[in-house]
Amino acid sequence: MSRSVPEAVAVAEPEVGRAVLRGRMGIALLSLIGFFIAGYLLLHRMGLVGPLMCGFGDCDTVQLSQWSVFLGIPVPAWGVGGYTALFVVSLLGLQPQFMAARWVSAALFGMAAFAFLFSAYLTALEAFVIRAWCQWCVVSAVLATGIFLFSLAELARLRRR
Amino acid sequence: MAPRNKPAASKGSDLRIFYIILALVAVVGLGTLGARVLGSRAGGAVLEPIELEGIENPRALFEMARPMSKGSPEAPVKLVVFSDYQCPYCAQFASMVNLRLKAEYLDAGKVYLEYYDFPLGGGHKHSFVAARAARCAGDQGRFWEYHDLLFGQQSRWSPEERTPLAQFEEYAGQLGLNTEEFRSCVRSDRHADVVTANRLLGEQLGVTGTPYLLINNKRVTNWGFNDLKRLIDAELGE
Repeated sequence: MSRSVPEAVAVAEPEVGRAVLRGRMGIALLSLIGFFIAGYLLLHRMGLVGPLMCGFGDCDTVQLSQWSVFLGIPVPAWGVGGYTALFVVSLLGLQPQFMAARWVSAALFGMAAFAFLFSAYLTALEAFVIRAWCQWCVVSAVLATGIFLFSLAELARLRRR
Repeated sequence: MAPRNKPAASKGSDLRIFYIILALVAVVGLGTLGARVLGSRAGGAVLEPIELEGIENPRALFEMARPMSKGSPEAPVKLVVFSDYQCPYCAQFASMVNLRLKAEYLDAGKVYLEYYDFPLGGGHKHSFVAARAARCAGDQGRFWEYHDLLFGQQSRWSPEERTPLAQFEEYAGQLGLNTEEFRSCVRSDRHADVVTANRLLGEQLGVTGTPYLLINNKRVTNWGFNDLKRLIDAELGE
């Protein structure tokens, strides 16, 4: 006999605490915002959105630098891919059938940690090598930091089991 | 069952609010990106620096960058200018060149002026396409007239939110250029490589603000007419 959704949520709840679920909501929200920012930078790179809106910093210098490509792929494309993956997995983690899955916690923490370290690397490049700032990159780094902080609840959950 | 249903219901309500917020963010994000894509259709005009290949080599970049010049190449003093069409100080400098430097030094064969584009970008979002437009006028032999017109009319076109291609085409008409030819040049990627190379060259030379001047390869920090005259005269040995 199949269970109704509220029952499934109630059954799964003891394994997945409120902090973890709130964290997944936070990750989904921040990664959606990050997806649009990275998408904007990618569309700009493709010449589809005209000049970059750049309230502070020197976005052109950063976007035209040799570090705007990582392993042959433009950095904004990495951002679009990463934020999409985080968004999809965090939403899956809010569905009753995947809520308690260990791989969801592992994937969210792993991707968030990678995104955080990658953002730290890019921010260090802006500060010490390129010596110019791109406001969108800074916002993206802040989002990646927020996502990483939310994902710490997943790490705690993985350690508990 | 009752104690277990309550948190589930509360979670359902949390989720509902969460999905509403997510949907709002998605609508705002898609709307903003869509508006940017639709609003940027400037008839194929390249509006900002492009990617250039082979610029890691400084010599290749130097060869790719091309200034516009004025005066005699044999003149003993070379004045190099990096300038941005949306920069008000650059407009003042351009006016000073015409009113005071031109007759005394340029026309007299004492100074050779080289003009490099340095579109700052950021808030100066039209300066790249303005630099291209001036070079399109240059294709018809009227670069300096167009350069002067752009700086003279800066306060009219520079604050425009949309790319001021219509004004640029109007200025071409005022100068008697072949407007069809000018239009097809501006609404393309022509000169985007040179303008980009000029900017990158400026970056390599340490240009951070405009106008940036060099007199016989020496940096000039004060470009008021009297300061400039003193420096030029010193180079001329006068």
